[in-house]
Amino acid sequence: MLSRLVFLPASALKSSGSLGAGLVQAGRCLHTSPQTQAPVPPLPEKSGKVRHGFIPEEFFQFLYPKTGVTGPYVLGTGLTLYMLSKEIYVINHETFAALSVGAVLIYAVKKFGPGIAAFADKLNDEKAAKVQEVKDVAVKSLTQAIDDEKKEQWRVEGRNMLFDAKRNNVAMLLETNYRERLHMVTNEVKKRLDYQIQLQNLHQRLEREHMVDWVEKNVVKSITPQQEKESIAKCIADLKVLAKNTQAKASL
Amino acid sequence: MSGRRAALKAIDWVSFAERVPPNQKSLFNALKTRSDGLAARLASLPEKPATIDWSYYRRAVAKSGLVDEFEKKFAALKVPEPVDTQTSKIGTQEQEASKSAVAYIQESKARIDVYEKELEKFKNMIPYDQMTIEDLNSVFPETKLDKVKHPYWPHKPIAEL
Repeated sequence: MLSRLVFLPASALKSSGSLGAGLVQAGRCLHTSPQTQAPVPPLPEKSGKVRHGFIPEEFFQFLYPKTGVTGPYVLGTGLTLYMLSKEIYVINHETFAALSVGAVLIYAVKKFGPGIAAFADKLNDEKAAKVQEVKDVAVKSLTQAIDDEKKEQWRVEGRNMLFDAKRNNVAMLLETNYRERLHMVTNEVKKRLDYQIQLQNLHQRLEREHMVDWVEKNVVKSITPQQEKESIAKCIADLKVLAKNTQAKASL
Repeated sequence: MSGRRAALKAIDWVSFAERVPPNQKSLFNALKTRSDGLAARLASLPEKPATIDWSYYRRAVAKSGLVDEFEKKFAALKVPEPVDTQTSKIGTQEQEASKSAVAYIQESKARIDVYEKELEKFKNMIPYDQMTIEDLNSVFPETKLDKVKHPYWPHKPIAEL
């Protein structure tokens, strides 16, 4: 029993120093060597192996070299017979009560034991899984956060591109403006020269038309009334001839 | 004449777009459309204006001195370049951005340190099935039950059970 105290950490021992008068005095420090500060070994999964429910396997191994496989059973049988025959154990009505209760208990354990054990294990496993999930989620979110921070740092490095783009925009605007000005100047000069040419053309056209009108007017004026009468008479004679010709053609 | 030939820096829009954080994508798109519009306008204008055929005009226009006078004045004309007011502002903006970027990177590194410390704690933790309650309290101090403030079981207010 005292050996189990080895596995308790020193602080728990110190705090429970007021118990057990048989244990050490409160002033002395126990278990301060590095051996006892070592971490607790993990608890075993299964209990020690037993045969027939209550006899440890080590007992059989202990007797095996001297008495072989049947040793413990012979010992057990011999002891039982000795107890019964010498009446060290007296058979009375309690014996039958014990036997009946024992039978029922053994039957119940054999039937329902594994099921209940599995249920209890499941409860435990669920608790463990929940706690493990907490840890996994925490680890995942931390690694994700670290990755995100690194990505943001990489993004910051690209900030110069924004200012390059802005400067480019400004330069483009200036250049465009300058070119527009040049074009405007050239166009305006061209327009003025073209206007002069158009103006000249207009003048020439007006002069030409005026001259033609004037010549026409003079010619008309120069036609005498006598000439006019003669030309009209000739036109009428021509028309009569034409009419006669067409009438002749139509009647044919 | 010096400011006129400011070379336009080639901008790699693809890698620029990669570095834009998602919450500023709309701003980036606006900038890109504006830049593209300006570039299109610039490309549509030829670099040198159309040359004027002075000999043709000399023959065509009757007035004698008009064309020569125009030619002389045109050659002597200097179109003023537009003044650049924004580049210095952009320079100051860039410096401020650099400063704030450096500060941000410092903070980011500090945050990364905190996260990495937490990660180390989780990685070096002993497995849950080998822990005692004392080990649990040392790894997660918030699970420690305050036995001084609540001396009777369950050592925490009933509402928190």
